[in-house]
Amino acid sequence: MNKHAPLGTFEEQVLLAIVRTAGDAFGMNVRREIETVTGRDVAIGAVYATLDRLEAKKLVRSFRSSDRKLFEITRSGIDALAETKAMRERLWRGVNVLRLLESS
Amino acid sequence: MEARRAHFSAPDFYNVETERMTLPTIARRLLAAQQHDAEREEVLSGMGEEYVMRRRRDGSLKARLWLWRQVLGSLPATVGRVWFRGTTGFESEANRMNGKGLGLESWIQDMRFALRSLRSRPLYVVLSVMTLALGIGGATAVFGIARAVLLEPLPYRTSDELVLFWNMFDWSEAEVNFLRPEWTGFAGVAAYRPEGVYLQQDGRPARQVPGIASSAELFDVLGVRPMLGSGFSPADDAPGAEPVAVLGYGLWQELGADRSIVGKSIDLDGGTRRVVGVMPEGFWFPDPSVRVWLSTPMRPNNRSGNYALVGRMEAGRTVESMRDPLQRITTRMGEQFTYPPQWDKTKNAQLTPVKEFLHGPVRPALLATLGAMGVILLMACANVATLMLGQLRGRSSELAVRIALGAGSGRLTRQLLVESIVLGLIAGAVGAFAAAMGFRLLLAALPLGELASTVTFNWTLFLVAMLIAFVAALLIALVPVLSLLHGDLRDALSRARTSGIGAKGRMEEALVIGEVALAVLLAAGAGVLIRSVANLQAFDSGIQANGVAVLDISTSGGTPEQRAQQLTQLVESLTTLPEVDAAAAIQLLPLRASGWNFGLAIEGRPELEQTTTRFRLVTHDYFRAMGIPVLRGRVFDARDAANSEQVIVIDQSLAEKYFPNEDPIDRRIATQTGWARIIGVVGAVAYGGLNPEERVPGRYMLFEQEPIVPDDNSIVVLVKDGRSPAQLLPLLARRIQQTAPTVALREMTTMQHEVATAMGPTLRIMQLMTLLGGLALLLGAIGVYGVVSHFVNRRRRDYVIRLALGMKPIAAIRQVLGRGTALVGIGCLIGILAALLLTRTLASLLYEIDATDPLALGLAIVTLIAAGCVAALIPGIRASRANPAQVLRENA
Repeated sequence: MNKHAPLGTFEEQVLLAIVRTAGDAFGMNVRREIETVTGRDVAIGAVYATLDRLEAKKLVRSFRSSDRKLFEITRSGIDALAETKAMRERLWRGVNVLRLLESS
Repeated sequence: MEARRAHFSAPDFYNVETERMTLPTIARRLLAAQQHDAEREEVLSGMGEEYVMRRRRDGSLKARLWLWRQVLGSLPATVGRVWFRGTTGFESEANRMNGKGLGLESWIQDMRFALRSLRSRPLYVVLSVMTLALGIGGATAVFGIARAVLLEPLPYRTSDELVLFWNMFDWSEAEVNFLRPEWTGFAGVAAYRPEGVYLQQDGRPARQVPGIASSAELFDVLGVRPMLGSGFSPADDAPGAEPVAVLGYGLWQELGADRSIVGKSIDLDGGTRRVVGVMPEGFWFPDPSVRVWLSTPMRPNNRSGNYALVGRMEAGRTVESMRDPLQRITTRMGEQFTYPPQWDKTKNAQLTPVKEFLHGPVRPALLATLGAMGVILLMACANVATLMLGQLRGRSSELAVRIALGAGSGRLTRQLLVESIVLGLIAGAVGAFAAAMGFRLLLAALPLGELASTVTFNWTLFLVAMLIAFVAALLIALVPVLSLLHGDLRDALSRARTSGIGAKGRMEEALVIGEVALAVLLAAGAGVLIRSVANLQAFDSGIQANGVAVLDISTSGGTPEQRAQQLTQLVESLTTLPEVDAAAAIQLLPLRASGWNFGLAIEGRPELEQTTTRFRLVTHDYFRAMGIPVLRGRVFDARDAANSEQVIVIDQSLAEKYFPNEDPIDRRIATQTGWARIIGVVGAVAYGGLNPEERVPGRYMLFEQEPIVPDDNSIVVLVKDGRSPAQLLPLLARRIQQTAPTVALREMTTMQHEVATAMGPTLRIMQLMTLLGGLALLLGAIGVYGVVSHFVNRRRRDYVIRLALGMKPIAAIRQVLGRGTALVGIGCLIGILAALLLTRTLASLLYEIDATDPLALGLAIVTLIAAGCVAALIPGIRASRANPAQVLRENA
């Protein structure tokens, strides 16, 4: 089991965005990535606040490169993502959305 | 499937570099303020690029909307981030080299630091919080009361226009009727007089309800409409009109809060009155004790004057601009009525604003208390400031290290400020709680009279307490901060590890001098009041108040003879109780009011003008019950009865004034029904209050020998030695109820209490001021102790070296003591000056004493110097007993 509390939805999104923009994962880029993928407005303040929390939990690491503050996922971060995904899949197991739609 | 909505390719962003500063100014500033120092540039640049892109693609309006959504949408998350960073101390790895963070974050860190540092000094915290809470709580409570009494609007429309006429309770129905058609300069004038009535309700015992009988204009003049029904209609005060009543809200509630009461009749004074209206909650006139307003016929020919007049000036007029209208009114009065020279109402026309009339008597007491509480608060602040300074010096090593590591004055200042604000807010909460608890006590201790019932604890006072606490915290922080900026403290700190000598502590000394001055001021105020009360107590009222119980009773109905008989019966029945020594009735208790004044005509002295003298009706044993000495002749006894010869007892003042060189015994004085023979002379008594002017000539007659016997009388009971009159009151009341069930008991008290009441506001304010003066003395002494003690601590090394070199311990004590008394001495001097200027505000509360009484001032100073010496002696002795080896090792 993961020693951390399960990731919140937004934390999960931010972590995944860091993975997807690997190598160029600075705050604005992470925000754009989430916005592009989810189609929803994301406030830059919320992204930085979540990045702080993730770093404090040691799920990401920050470093400087050419005047930008970049982030990369840590081993614990990967574990947390895996654990969150597994948990979600366990929850989905046995749920048939098509059937639900038909019966509603 | 991924929903890709925005389509920006990386090159788009990097091509708009030149336009990145195009973010609208306000949005850019707000955005910048939310960013960490190390991230600001990056975020602004990113946002600028995207803004430009969006403007190109979606137009200016949509881009702006997006930007503002970003700015405002980020706010909650930023607040959370600041809190998170402040409380956890987190700093991102990439920001380590630029760790200033967000603005507020370091405040939160300072607060955490302050809390941690305060936790390690519990004694200091408890002392500071308690000292401050005392000041804050007291100031808040007094402010709450003063605000409610002096600042809350009176329950009348534009009360600034309301005035009371001169010669209160001296206006007749004839005068009112004559002037009524034309009150020049007034929008309206109403006449009123107090009238207690007996309310009979559903077979319950009758009880007295304080009421006002008034002319029909009253509610129009006051500008207040009843909440149910109406006020009086113009015809209600015509002779022969049906008697009607308007109920106060409280009385209406007591009668069952029946909304259909209007139009029904209630049983008042043995007759019925139709209720025409109910006044709204919070309305009162002329004082909050009045619960019912009654119509009364204004008969054009009735010349007995006992009304007061309240008028509403025409809009825009002030009391000053009323001279001409008053002139007109008095001229008309002079034409219609003739007044004896000493009662000429046309000569002294004067209007008093209602507000001044109501607030005038309580204002000095309230302001003096508010001032005293303010002084206590200031002293508490000074004490906590010196405590804080002392603490800083105690933490000199820690602070010296921080200065060495580069902490600037700004950061140290902020830490001091945060620490004092934390202390202040804790004290504010405790103080608010204390204010809530002590509010009723304080209200009872202040001489507010009936106005006290309009004051309630208001929860906004918690806000006031916190505000006072905040200001106090700023004041407190000011002292160490100034000390720091002046370099005094900083110098001392930078030398902390060497010797500590050189810190002069001037700021502390100035503080303690200020404190002593304030304490002298308060103690002098208290001293003057104590002396004034002592003068009042020393004044001989002419009666023996000890061991006398007082029961105010009311009889209704019956003939005067029946009432007199009932009184005699009651007194006799009380006398049979084994606890009772003597009992008697009197129509008006001494010290309460001047009461009946009748002209005096002496047989064979036609040249004597009919002078007014006090007149009292009593039962046989009155003089014994009240301890009034019989100086000549005899007092009433079994020989004197309803149908025997009319006899009279005069007091010493009357004897001295009208029979200076002759024996008054057997001389005769005119009564309403004939002549009464003087049978004795008794000691003089203060009738209207504790005031030599009230020891006017007076005479006594028996109830049964007078054709007028009032409804309201008092029974005085002298209890046997060793018994407490207060404890016997219930027993006496039961006996009265058994003997005469129809008699209503209005009030039970003791004569001692009556004397205390007669001392009036001065006694109560004296008690409060003595308490506050004592408190100030204590705070002043603690201040002196704190400062001298720090002084000694700083110079311990000095002293042990001197002691080791042969200085006598007594010399060390003398030096320390000298320093303490010097501070107290300077403080006293300043205090005396302030007291000379400020105790004048107490002048209206003082009796036969000057506001700048040298004895009171002297006493205050002696007490303070004594307290200062004791406070300085303790550290002095400590200095003389220091162990050289230990001290030198500590400072090595």
